[in-house]
Amino acid sequence: MTIDVAALIAVMGGLLLVSLALAVRLRRASSIDFYLAGQRIGVVTNALAICGDYFSAASFLGVAAGVYVSGLDGVWYAAGFAAGFVPVLLFVAAPLRRFGQFSLPDFLGRRLRSDRVRIVAVAVVQVITLSYLVPQAVASGITWKLLVGRGPLGLDPYATGVVIATTTIAGLVAFGGMRGTTWTQALQFVFLMAVLVWLAAAVLGNGFHYTDAVAELGREPLRNPVVVDGQWQLQPEASELQPQRAARFDQPGARYSLVGQMMLLITLMLGTAGLPHVMNRYFTSPTGRETRRTTVWVLGVAGVFYTLAVMLGTAARSVISQVTTVPPWLGELTVDGVLRIPEHALLVLGRLSAGSAGLTVIAIAALVAVISTMAGLLLAAAASWGHDVFAFVVNRRATQEQVVLAGRLAVVGTAAVAAAIALRLEPTSLSALFPSAVATMVTWAFAVAGSALTPVIILSIWWRGMTASGAIAGLVTGSAIAIGLFFVALDQPGWSIASLLLTPTPIAAPCAVLVAVVVSRRTPVPDDVTQLWVRLHGTASDRTAERLARLTIRGVDDRGSVR
Amino acid sequence: MTPPVDESIGRDEFDTPAEVDAVYRTQRRIAIGYFAVFLGGILMIPVATLVTDWWSGAQLSGWATGFVIVGAGLYLFFFALGVGAATLANGVERRMLGTPGDDESPEPDA
Repeated sequence: MTIDVAALIAVMGGLLLVSLALAVRLRRASSIDFYLAGQRIGVVTNALAICGDYFSAASFLGVAAGVYVSGLDGVWYAAGFAAGFVPVLLFVAAPLRRFGQFSLPDFLGRRLRSDRVRIVAVAVVQVITLSYLVPQAVASGITWKLLVGRGPLGLDPYATGVVIATTTIAGLVAFGGMRGTTWTQALQFVFLMAVLVWLAAAVLGNGFHYTDAVAELGREPLRNPVVVDGQWQLQPEASELQPQRAARFDQPGARYSLVGQMMLLITLMLGTAGLPHVMNRYFTSPTGRETRRTTVWVLGVAGVFYTLAVMLGTAARSVISQVTTVPPWLGELTVDGVLRIPEHALLVLGRLSAGSAGLTVIAIAALVAVISTMAGLLLAAAASWGHDVFAFVVNRRATQEQVVLAGRLAVVGTAAVAAAIALRLEPTSLSALFPSAVATMVTWAFAVAGSALTPVIILSIWWRGMTASGAIAGLVTGSAIAIGLFFVALDQPGWSIASLLLTPTPIAAPCAVLVAVVVSRRTPVPDDVTQLWVRLHGTASDRTAERLARLTIRGVDDRGSVR
Repeated sequence: MTPPVDESIGRDEFDTPAEVDAVYRTQRRIAIGYFAVFLGGILMIPVATLVTDWWSGAQLSGWATGFVIVGAGLYLFFFALGVGAATLANGVERRMLGTPGDDESPEPDA
């Protein structure tokens, strides 16, 4: 399964040109411009950029793959991703923006009046960022290896994918800053959505009937390929809810027990509010009210995206199994009409719908999803290192130019570290790694974010009694428990509860809250907590920003009418 | 024709701690209330699967009920919840904070 390399190179080159064009505009950017796009990003643009940040390859290929391989349980996986924005809207978005800072560590540092909190939060952010960034780099290498299959100058194809993706996106972010990245992420998400809509239309146009397909797939036991004595064969999946019965596509239980399903949902739900690359976007909105509207847009757009992804996962399961004359390329990928690697679902569907052009479009979309998420992660790393570490610890008298330069260097450095780790992780067997390691590492990022950062952020917003020592204790406890349980699960995969420990947030987050509250009760709150509270929950800054915006518009209108 | 003078020009915006505290308590009630509805909506589906056989076999316009609710209905639920929560939260702030008449041209909330 190979694709048009020229098309891939054209897309990468186009992205670089966009970033260079923006770089010319932003060569004298201030730190507010570089990190926050001047805090003037509109509701729809920001919502699309957040979606570009959030919908990585795990969402684009992974949700369809999850539905393909486990039916309704895969549909829950998508619901968990979308659900994460409801707590963000209810508890975090507006107060976070009203504090008006650069990053999550900066928010905690200022709210709790402590540079120690800032530094501990930076460390947690780096763990989350790298946990998310490395699998994106790995996915880009695997995608290149699978679909292009060769590299220039004798370079290994996997390494070529990793190097091209990380270099391109590091260049885009380092030159374009938040403003350039916002626009490219918004455009990239529009492209992703357009590809899903096109594929859905093509599949429906070819006679796929969604209702009938779900009903038909639900009649038979769900069977997936496994290797038995060195041979691939289909085996029915036992239901996790009723082990004596076989799992079915349209019923729960193919992958998760009830507890497992709830633990995954809670991990994804709480993790979203602690993802630095997503939450940093909220600082670019003009006001707190705008962040609420932005989140509502995200919920709407995410709903459309995941509804389509779920439908396409179902379509892949139905359409691929019904191919009457199996071409050789499809025969290599399937066992009795079922894909060996579920992540191929959309790629194969694209090729069946529109030949190699269809495959190329889906492959480009997958790479765009990867680099769009990488861009947000690199910006989050830049804000942490450039603003929180350099400007607050290394050099408190740094000029704006120095802070921006530090951010740009952080982008390059973080991309290099992620690429180096991804190159060392090169899979010897693609089927052994894909999807487990990529999906597992992304889940790890959600787990650490939801276990450590989210509880501390929510307590800092909604509880006056939160203190710096409490926050540090909560961050350390949540991270340590989440990471510890994760390693236990990886070390003891045979344990019956191992799969539950891979989604440790429901255990780690309450522990983090408990420790943070106990420690906070024994330590003093900041002296000016009342003023901090007024800034956090008041709307004076919103009203000022809205008034200035009205005056600006009126000024432009008046100038226009004079002319 | 002289454009109307904006009364708010030159006025410093501020909120008093008492006003903010009242808003904070109201917003907390709204957030927790909506979160309870959100959790209830999500938990209802797996609980229904466990406690009643009817749910697993039920059909909705030819669809397995669980599949269509999780595959499309939940997103509508999240969106409706988001619109309601954002509208209410923004409305509460507008009514309880700032001088009445601050917002000359109120925009839709969501």
